[in-house]
Amino acid sequence: MNNKTRRGPAWLARAIAALLLSATAAAASAANQSDPYIPANDSVILEHLPSTSDPRVRQFDALRKQVEASPGNPKLAVALSRAYLDYGRDTGDARYLGRAQAVIAPWTAKRPASDDAMLVLATILQSRHQFAESRQILQAVLRHDSDNTQAWLTLASVALVQGDMDEARRDCAHLLGSSDGLITAGCIGSWSVVNGNAQSTLRVVDALLRQEPDASPALQSWAHGLMADAAKTLGQTDRADAEFRQALQFAPGDNFLLADYADFLLDRGRARDALELTRGYEQSDTSFLRKVLAESALGLPAAAADIKQMASRFRDLEQRGDSRLYGREEARFVLELQHDSARALKLAQDDWTIQHAPEDMRIYLQAALAAGQPAAAQPALDFLKRTRFEDPIVRALAARIASQTPAALKPAGVASMAGASH
Amino acid sequence: MLWLIALLALLPITAFAHKESDAYLNLRTDAANPNVLHGQFDIALRDLAFVIDIDSNQDSSVTWGEVKAHRDAIERYALGGLTIKGDGLTCETHPTGQRVDAHNDGAYDVIDFDTVCDKEIPNRLAVDYRLFQDVDPYHRGIVTIHAGDRVAGAVLGPKTPTATLDLRAPDRWSQFKSFMVDGIWHIWTGPDHLLFILSLLLPAVLYRKPGIGGRVLGAGKSRHLVAAYGDPAVSLMMAGATLVPARADTGWLPMPKLSRSMIELVKVISGFTVSHSVTLTLSVLGYVNLPSRLVESGIALSIIVAAFNNIYPVVTRRAWLVAFSFGFIHGLGFASALAGLALPPAAMAASLAGFSVGVELGQEAIVLPFLPLAFLLRKTRFYQVGVLRWGSLLIIAVATLWLVQRAFDVVIPGTAFLTPS
Repeated sequence: MNNKTRRGPAWLARAIAALLLSATAAAASAANQSDPYIPANDSVILEHLPSTSDPRVRQFDALRKQVEASPGNPKLAVALSRAYLDYGRDTGDARYLGRAQAVIAPWTAKRPASDDAMLVLATILQSRHQFAESRQILQAVLRHDSDNTQAWLTLASVALVQGDMDEARRDCAHLLGSSDGLITAGCIGSWSVVNGNAQSTLRVVDALLRQEPDASPALQSWAHGLMADAAKTLGQTDRADAEFRQALQFAPGDNFLLADYADFLLDRGRARDALELTRGYEQSDTSFLRKVLAESALGLPAAAADIKQMASRFRDLEQRGDSRLYGREEARFVLELQHDSARALKLAQDDWTIQHAPEDMRIYLQAALAAGQPAAAQPALDFLKRTRFEDPIVRALAARIASQTPAALKPAGVASMAGASH
Repeated sequence: MLWLIALLALLPITAFAHKESDAYLNLRTDAANPNVLHGQFDIALRDLAFVIDIDSNQDSSVTWGEVKAHRDAIERYALGGLTIKGDGLTCETHPTGQRVDAHNDGAYDVIDFDTVCDKEIPNRLAVDYRLFQDVDPYHRGIVTIHAGDRVAGAVLGPKTPTATLDLRAPDRWSQFKSFMVDGIWHIWTGPDHLLFILSLLLPAVLYRKPGIGGRVLGAGKSRHLVAAYGDPAVSLMMAGATLVPARADTGWLPMPKLSRSMIELVKVISGFTVSHSVTLTLSVLGYVNLPSRLVESGIALSIIVAAFNNIYPVVTRRAWLVAFSFGFIHGLGFASALAGLALPPAAMAASLAGFSVGVELGQEAIVLPFLPLAFLLRKTRFYQVGVLRWGSLLIIAVATLWLVQRAFDVVIPGTAFLTPS
């Protein structure tokens, strides 16, 4: 009773949410449930768990036992949490986000909280697009430890995703002279790629990487991935292709690299290569989407069933209330595979309110064009103008939009920029 | 030290590959058995394996044999994280079977179970969901309830573990009926309200002999006397030959017509209804709140006053005024019967009206058979002395007992059977 009165609005919101859900519940549950069955015999394998032959799995298994043995040790908890988070990021298994957060929960709830635990929490929240909360935590850490490289890095990456270029640059600047040259160059280089200076990123990161041949595989993979993006942005297709392959050599099966490289291949009419690249990674929604896009581009008969399966996965996300985490992917799916441009535009617009990465910009422009509402993409155009992002595909889209937008709406810079790209 | 560098890549840095952990809880009503809900609880094997050592042989593959072998542990864990309540009462849940199901993100263990509720499956079902709450803040329980062709749902998780779902479209008429029955039972099982009304009605078949006891009547008196002269009984009386034996004058005269008694009864009952409805409503809506000790004592006192008036009449012509005045305190007593029901606002009107009508019907059911009987017996000494005087004395005795018990919060041994429920 008390709760009801005290938290009136929350209760109301939940009631409304439940009401909304009930409308879709029937359809969703129908889609969700195949018929339960009893397997034919005891030896039927139902599920594969993270393999204990994987050193990462052995590492967090061992850490978990240690944490259970000494629950009062925050260092162990943070180490286990990081191990879960790393594994989740590599494999794309989002279950490990929650597991990582649960492990550090006692230490992030404590006051004063441990910085290490709070940094992990900030990363988890960022992964769940809770950018404002993530920022708050990072700024709190930096208030009493202004040289915390990890905090500045994470803050910079949050700012980049949100499109806050000035803040990203300032955050990266804090790394100068205080940490590894390659990491500092990577931070500034990431900023440069979306700010019209991909060329310098390519040059500087390449030079620094040559100076640090013993850098960790994770660092090397990241550096090559960044150079691939820079080369792609500059239209240097062969260089980008080579960098992607390099990056994947250092991090085989990396979920993010796979998706990014597959997109690169799809853009260049290499659907068959994209299909080959994503083979075996169908459990990952991001890889699966690229696979379905490739199948569709190739006109393969498997596409129809896989499109249904992809739609069902998005319904799962919507049902649990997490569809906003995948707005960009869903907008692309709806636009390119379901050909519902109006809905795609709506999804892209919602996604744009949360994040401003190049991919978000691109799907926004595409959806607005397809829906015949070029003016709806004005926020993305304004952003593009501010950042001077060089990517030829995005600039071509912007030029088309600009040519269709009534003159009154056209911001001064777009016309000249679009002109310069041709 | 820098373990998160990969975050900075301009890859799709925040997109994870597949969704986090979900479990699906489906509850279905049974058309044939209103006390039971059939449940199906789908939980990912990967999630279960994180908290229960299902993979006995540590080969990173989960077989059907391993799942079966851990059935008890799985059911204990899963159903232990679940509480289902029907209209506030916890229902009992027990597993009935184990199967598996393929979902988009892998194989799920399916726990079939039945939930048995005490009463019939109520309108509102509350689900409290605590599964995995200590190991995964992003776990969600997707709850769907099928009640006939109605579907309701909620998404629960560690931050919002409970949901209340309507099983049926709110049915105002059944609500009205259900509270009407409550009202009737409240009257029948709680003799205090009834004793009060009876005390006021016992003299309804009689009227006070002019000039004897009590206040001399006002305006009503002359009207009444004028009417009474037309009555044979009154004529006889005026001639000095009353039907009542002269050996001890009771001070009462029989009411000449049944219709007159009826009017008296209607006035008393209506007065009572009007006032108790007012306080019942005000109290249930929360505008009036008196300590129940005060209210219950007041009710007992009202009975004493009403019964005492039959022996030493003070108010003889306007019993309805007494009913009306004390009805206010009885209304507060009715409200206590509704307290704790946590009525949803929308159901309030139907419930209150139903309860009031029920109280009314409960009274009528007692009072209507009483009146003709009393009318037939009104001239007898048995009625005038045995029923009216001694009955009222008995009522005073019982009500005094209640008053003492309620006012001083004591239990008098051997009187439990007299205590209203």
